[in-house]
Amino acid sequence: MTPPPAESVAAMIRPTPVAHDSQVNRDLLRVMEGASLGYFALVALAVGAMLAAGGVWIWQVYEGLGIAGYKHPVFWGAYIVTFVFWVGIAHAGTLISAILYLFRAKWRNAINRSAEAMTVFAVLTAAQFLGIHVGRIWKSYFILPYPNQRALWVNFKSPLLWDTFAITTYATISIVFFYVGLVPDLAIARDRATGWRKLLYTVLSLGWQGTSKQWKAHNRTVLHLSGLATPLVLSVHSVVSWDFAMSIVPGWHATIFAPYFVAGAIFSGFAMVLTMMIPVRRIFGLEAYITDYHFENMSRFLLLTSIIVGYAYGAEYFMAWYSNVEAEQSSFWLRAFGPYWVSTWVMILCNGVFPQLLWFKRLRTNIPFLFVLSMLINVGMWFERYVIIITGLSREYDPAVWGIYTPSWPELVIVAGSFGFFCQFFLLFLKVFPVVAIAEVKELEIHARAHGEGH
Amino acid sequence: MPQLLGVFEQPDHVAGAARRLRDRGYTEIETFSPSPFPEVDDAVDEKPSGVRLFTLIGGLAGVVTGYALTIWMANDWQIMLGGKPFSSIPPYTIIAFELTILFGGLMTLIGLFVRGGLPSFRMHPAYSQRFSAEDFGLVVRCRERDVPEIDALLRDHHAMEVSLVEA
Repeated sequence: MTPPPAESVAAMIRPTPVAHDSQVNRDLLRVMEGASLGYFALVALAVGAMLAAGGVWIWQVYEGLGIAGYKHPVFWGAYIVTFVFWVGIAHAGTLISAILYLFRAKWRNAINRSAEAMTVFAVLTAAQFLGIHVGRIWKSYFILPYPNQRALWVNFKSPLLWDTFAITTYATISIVFFYVGLVPDLAIARDRATGWRKLLYTVLSLGWQGTSKQWKAHNRTVLHLSGLATPLVLSVHSVVSWDFAMSIVPGWHATIFAPYFVAGAIFSGFAMVLTMMIPVRRIFGLEAYITDYHFENMSRFLLLTSIIVGYAYGAEYFMAWYSNVEAEQSSFWLRAFGPYWVSTWVMILCNGVFPQLLWFKRLRTNIPFLFVLSMLINVGMWFERYVIIITGLSREYDPAVWGIYTPSWPELVIVAGSFGFFCQFFLLFLKVFPVVAIAEVKELEIHARAHGEGH
Repeated sequence: MPQLLGVFEQPDHVAGAARRLRDRGYTEIETFSPSPFPEVDDAVDEKPSGVRLFTLIGGLAGVVTGYALTIWMANDWQIMLGGKPFSSIPPYTIIAFELTILFGGLMTLIGLFVRGGLPSFRMHPAYSQRFSAEDFGLVVRCRERDVPEIDALLRDHHAMEVSLVEA
């Protein structure tokens, strides 16, 4: 046997040099460092909005739902509108993470982490509204099938119960999905952190070392969770739509509701991702990771889902006319020309008409335009749910029981507070977890490096 | 027995080295990758991860629980609704579907823990933060007299550095 070459023996004796790091790690972990005055101002604003809403909610618990704008015949108001709005927002994260993962669309890497985080926070926000809406919060656990001394069980034929199962499943699975994806990135942060962060990331990263066994199990887990989350994301907003479609209220009782709601959810979710990520990219200088190409791809999704939603608006009117059911026809006529015409036209313009501008590539790559458009879509999608819920309930079959609903100021404070509730989590997320999936971005870089060297 | 650590820049180099070592009969191989590279994981061990069994068991448990829960509860506390049978399959399918996803997802997470050896309370002595940067590592346990041979083999597969791991 030949002795080892001299330089290899020398290399064995020489200690390994320290401070190995990569540009990707440095760039993306830097987002978590420090916090400017502006950041604290935003946190104060978000927490302030949430506390104001919390105060009004405590008053509502004390006084009862009378202080909300609920009055006969409209007993589903702004709270349910906002619940559906936030559940819709929650759909983009899972779509990007699960469906685009299964389609091997690599461009999702730049945005999947933040979109997953938004999913988790949006579901949490939506869940608050179930408690707020039922009024008697201390009885809200009655919706769960738990053993009780009266030997009662819940009614599994009710869409509201399907909704309970869909929302709790969605919240659980999106948290699991978010966390599993985070583990390798938390290990990256752990290796570089000091102080309380070191402790936090050491515990949360579960001793991840990127061994073959760990990666193999991780890849499989992500694949299976994607496979499970894909039908789940389509089912959740379908089940929410059945809360309406299973009734016989004119304007609600339509088989188109499930696909219509799912497309709308994806539409609003992508708009919210754009609304949040355009400023984040600008403030933290992430242009090298979240490029205009990513925003353009998201705007294509907006265009596609806008067409589906616009088609659904048209199909609803066609079906109302074609059905020859007078209640259905007058419900849709009053939507466009009745007391809620403003909401209806805001919905049609923001969701169906303005996004058509995205046919132009110049506008798809115009970031300020996308930001403004995404804000308009957020507004439009809130009004879509407002139109569906309020016009349906206030104009049912018998004109003698028609009524007018206007949101009361406590409702509006709580709705505004929900944005604070959502934003405080997102602001915290920016400073505690890596905002871009570092390990996945690196995967592309290493591939590029291997091919660059001519393998 | 000593352990040798080779540091690599490219995933296919690690995979090649791992394959070669296994051909030579070295079984105690461990790799460190900064990102998921299935070719590296398969070179160390081509057996599937085993997570799929957990997902399957969870999913099946979910669908059974979903139907059992709804049918039993609806018959235990009978509410007549629109003349429909107490054991109505179509509405209960929604509950069964959601529980399939819920249990399947949670069991997949347990599968990750069990099959991926997480949480792991002891860090490998050869692990360092360079492997959460951009380098790949390969650790192999061998007899003292094989050290020079493996050193040469690793360098042959474009290892940037080879060092002995202090136990």
